[in-house]
Amino acid sequence: MSTQEQASYVAVCPECDVDLQTDEPNEIVAFHRRHYRVTGHDVKLERTELNFEEVTSTDIKGVVRQLEEQYENGVPIGVVAAVMNEHGLTIGETLDKIHEVRMTGGLYEPRDNYLGAF
Amino acid sequence: MTQWERAQAKPVSPDITDRSNALPAKYFTEPEFFEMEKEKVFGQYWIYAGHANSISEPWQFFTRTVGNQTLILVRTADGDIRSVKNFSARDGAPIVDETPMSDPGYIDPDEFTDLESVHVDSIGPLVFVNLADDPMPLSEQAGVMKDRLEALPLGEYEHACRIVSEVECNWKVFASNYSECDHCQANHQDWIKGISLDESELEVNDYHWVLHYTHEEDVEDEMRIHDEHEAQFHYLWPNFTVNMYGTADGYGTYIIDPVDTDRFQLIADYYFRDSDLSEEEREFIRTSRQLQEEDFELVERQWDGLKTGALAQAQLGPNEHTVHKFHRLAQDAYNS
Repeated sequence: MSTQEQASYVAVCPECDVDLQTDEPNEIVAFHRRHYRVTGHDVKLERTELNFEEVTSTDIKGVVRQLEEQYENGVPIGVVAAVMNEHGLTIGETLDKIHEVRMTGGLYEPRDNYLGAF
Repeated sequence: MTQWERAQAKPVSPDITDRSNALPAKYFTEPEFFEMEKEKVFGQYWIYAGHANSISEPWQFFTRTVGNQTLILVRTADGDIRSVKNFSARDGAPIVDETPMSDPGYIDPDEFTDLESVHVDSIGPLVFVNLADDPMPLSEQAGVMKDRLEALPLGEYEHACRIVSEVECNWKVFASNYSECDHCQANHQDWIKGISLDESELEVNDYHWVLHYTHEEDVEDEMRIHDEHEAQFHYLWPNFTVNMYGTADGYGTYIIDPVDTDRFQLIADYYFRDSDLSEEEREFIRTSRQLQEEDFELVERQWDGLKTGALAQAQLGPNEHTVHKFHRLAQDAYNS
């Protein structure tokens, strides 16, 4: 049995057979952005370990609002991507939806790559 | 065949007193200029600190970072507001943790006594600080803006909402964007429907400028705090705005706070009769947020372009008096 601890988040690109294992949720988004910029491939989340109660909301704004209570200065965008992954959205699709809602004024970034809901 | 015209990428002229000349791009993009701004801009002029209503009780305080200094703003026992530098003369350690105006704390009066003071003045309930030893009076920097705002019952309104956004762009690009509405037709297509741009007016003063707009809808007469069908967007050099919307019984302020050369925070505060937001007020702020997001997208694109170094100096359009004023004030400060 391996003694190596499993990373909380594993993102993979099935087409290129590359992956990223990390405990830092926003790194999966950075990985997606880099990979998408170079290859045009949307990477997939293979493993997400969310250490909080189930998020009942299914829309982006509701998810951020629900998670905001657990984070002091904005919800990491990677955590939002992980929750939306449970609802069948890829990282790329989640980022597109975040942009869409931000442009209507429903979400804001209190700091880079962290989200607040209004 | 198209030929690259190199001459177009050269500086127009370093002299930005020529009204079409913008501030050279290096003042936006090179980190050493941000360090200079901390001293020559944020260390010399009156900078908005926060709203007096947020520290209404004795020894309530909030902090505000201006240039290289973190300041504490305190309501003292005699009801005045004082500002001191947030470090102990004994060991240099901060006296209090960072505390935003939207969540003020209480300070022990004994801790406060020996701290180094900075200048404080106000326009109605809006409190300003100045780090200079011998600053120009706030009344001189704010000019007619002070009289106009003090004629309004701004102090009767309560802070209802603060939204802080971090944007990847130099603070001066957003400040320039705020100062004109040439971009509004293309960039704020929903909002512009209710605005009569033909009847708008740009007023330029020594250290502040005002964009006056007329709009179709208005709040009821008894609720209105300025002229009928009029919105006023005041910009006070270097980084503060007061937004009198006209379509809401309330007002807003923006602080355009640089984080570094490449980033700023937009701190948007909204004030209404009551600090509990009604559904209409919430919807109003959501629209305001939408306008901010539309502007963020625009200025981040401009910033991406500016950073490439292809443009050494921009040329301003004939209507951009206010932007030119902003750039000239920056240049004057750098040369001081």
